[in-house]
Amino acid sequence: MDWDVILRNLPFLLMGLQTTFKLAIVAAAGAFPLGILLGLSRLSSKWWLYYPASAYVHLIRSVPLILVIFWFFFLMPIITGRPVGSFTSAAVAFIIFEAAYFAEIVRAGIQSISKGQVMAGLSTGLSHISTMRHIVLPQAIRNMIPVLVTQVIVLFQDTSLAYVIGVREFLRWTSLVDAREFRSIELYATAAVVYFIICFVGSTITRRLEKKGGRLR
Amino acid sequence: MIDINNVSKWYGKLQVLHNVTEKIERGQTVVICGPSGSGKSTLLRCINGLEYFQQGEIIVDGISVQSRSTNIYELRADIGMVFQHFELYPHMTCLDNITLAPRKVRKKLEEEARTLAMSLLERVGIPEQAHKYPGELSGGQKQRVAIARALAMKPKIMLFDEPTSALDPEMIKEVLDVMIDLTKGGMTMIVVTHEMGFAREVADEIIFMDEGRIIERGADESFFRNPKSERTKQFLSKILM
Amino acid sequence: MHPYGGWMLQGIFTTIHLSGIGWIIALILGVVVGTSRVFPVAFIRFLGTAYVELFRNIPLLVQLFIWYFAVPLVLPHTARLWMYENVPNVEYMAALAALSIYTSSRVGEQIRSGLQSIPKEQYQAALSTGLSQIQMYRYVVIPYAARIIIPPLTGEFIGIFKNSSLALTIAVSEVTFMSQRIDSYTFHGIEAVMGASGVYIIICLTIMFFMGFIESRVSVPGLIKR
Repeated sequence: MDWDVILRNLPFLLMGLQTTFKLAIVAAAGAFPLGILLGLSRLSSKWWLYYPASAYVHLIRSVPLILVIFWFFFLMPIITGRPVGSFTSAAVAFIIFEAAYFAEIVRAGIQSISKGQVMAGLSTGLSHISTMRHIVLPQAIRNMIPVLVTQVIVLFQDTSLAYVIGVREFLRWTSLVDAREFRSIELYATAAVVYFIICFVGSTITRRLEKKGGRLR
Repeated sequence: MIDINNVSKWYGKLQVLHNVTEKIERGQTVVICGPSGSGKSTLLRCINGLEYFQQGEIIVDGISVQSRSTNIYELRADIGMVFQHFELYPHMTCLDNITLAPRKVRKKLEEEARTLAMSLLERVGIPEQAHKYPGELSGGQKQRVAIARALAMKPKIMLFDEPTSALDPEMIKEVLDVMIDLTKGGMTMIVVTHEMGFAREVADEIIFMDEGRIIERGADESFFRNPKSERTKQFLSKILM
Repeated sequence: MHPYGGWMLQGIFTTIHLSGIGWIIALILGVVVGTSRVFPVAFIRFLGTAYVELFRNIPLLVQLFIWYFAVPLVLPHTARLWMYENVPNVEYMAALAALSIYTSSRVGEQIRSGLQSIPKEQYQAALSTGLSQIQMYRYVVIPYAARIIIPPLTGEFIGIFKNSSLALTIAVSEVTFMSQRIDSYTFHGIEAVMGASGVYIIICLTIMFFMGFIESRVSVPGLIKR
């Protein structure tokens, strides 16, 4: 086994890793706010918020990510009228896709706060908005954080799918190097180890957060 | 002070309140007892607008609860409620639990609200718990903080929804003592409870409800000794020893 | 439309049997893994945890590539030759291996979670009436846990169908692959992709409907608070 192949091609692999992180950060930064909006809409009593948001979430959650990536690969040039790079298409696809998952986390988090808390707040004369702001949301966010971090880790893993439209992220670079060097075992094992370390560290942090958060009540 | 006129409520097809009518005077303490599912808690929540009723009218101090012109938030500020499971906000200290509504609704300043909260904590007997979180308190202490929280808005009426049902037996007394204290101070109170000792001691009127209807009312010892209705007899024989 | 409809049908069929067989394997492995994580022997618990952590922290696509590109190289020379000559569909096998093992680690997690959510008082109550360990598992624990596990397991079942789309990267002719093939012939990429999307939506709805039916048949009043 020739482990030197990793060292020789390190610059390329690192470039790929950098793109992976960029893609993940852009996707998370876009998907999170959109997810919050969608999640709150799914709890709203206004039909013009509830139905579109629910349709969106159910639709996106029924189709594979690869397909959503292909959708935007075809649609982006049409929408913007110009050719669009694969990174951008992938980024948009990830934002739209992951937002549906963040939305469900937000919705479940807010719904997990017992109705008794809401009644307690209202019974002292607080408005619905005040009750949301001071009583429900602080508790909901604290509960949601571990699940949100887990979803970010999933998002990080999902970036590898940008491979299918040629985005030069970490996995794509690994396979490009493999095509030239034919050292599949060393290369893919390394890729696996890198992803594993990053995600395992991430999920360990999540477990710590869960333990800390469980102190309330 | 509180006029309940022919109130009926349905959850879907199930009718949970049947033409409930009752009048409660200022300063009275009324105890409502009855089996689970009899509608007692629901009735209580209709009074401060936390539950909606389809028929009838509830008038609190001249204001109709479900009228369109009523500001329900203002009305709720004048009615205090204490819950079976305390429902203290776990992410805030006891002091903050009590000062939240006075600050946000009555727009009191931090300083003023704190002083008020401390005096209330003293009144319920636990000033030293002010900076602790609800998770660090016993059940009896939590409920007393909940009572202080309700009193912080200086309500005209206090509603108690089975305040001692979730407590260990040795803590029931400390909460009941606070409630007796309130009664003696002239507060208008409606208490849903199974604590017949409390009812005997301080209630001006006792109401027995079953299946969404008021079955019997009594104003004194005769309610316990000689209940008029068969169902009341059955219920009392099961809970009194 | 003629050959393309046929291609789509073939793709749908491949998606269904790839996911179906993968699911069965994943369930079997998942039950083993899930129960090993609550086994009284610490070493077995460790093995179970290692399995789950390994396969859930590596992206499925990377696992797929490892099975397809790297694993054949690990096999001894003769075995590799035999495989390439006698196994007709190496891509399919690699996809099946990756999908089922990845899914089994997730299923194992759900099963562990279900088993652990049964309060230990239930175990104590069962044993106190004189039931043996095996009887306790058979009559009390497993029926209880099974009902708790059904909703998340449904999610994983839908998941394996969606994840089968990754096999297109190694030229397994499942439905998404076919949609891209149609696009490369006709340049009607959008229609092809919409068609594939429709297939997945229908599959999802069907599974949810079916599992909803099963849930209501086996449900015990008051057991699962929704």
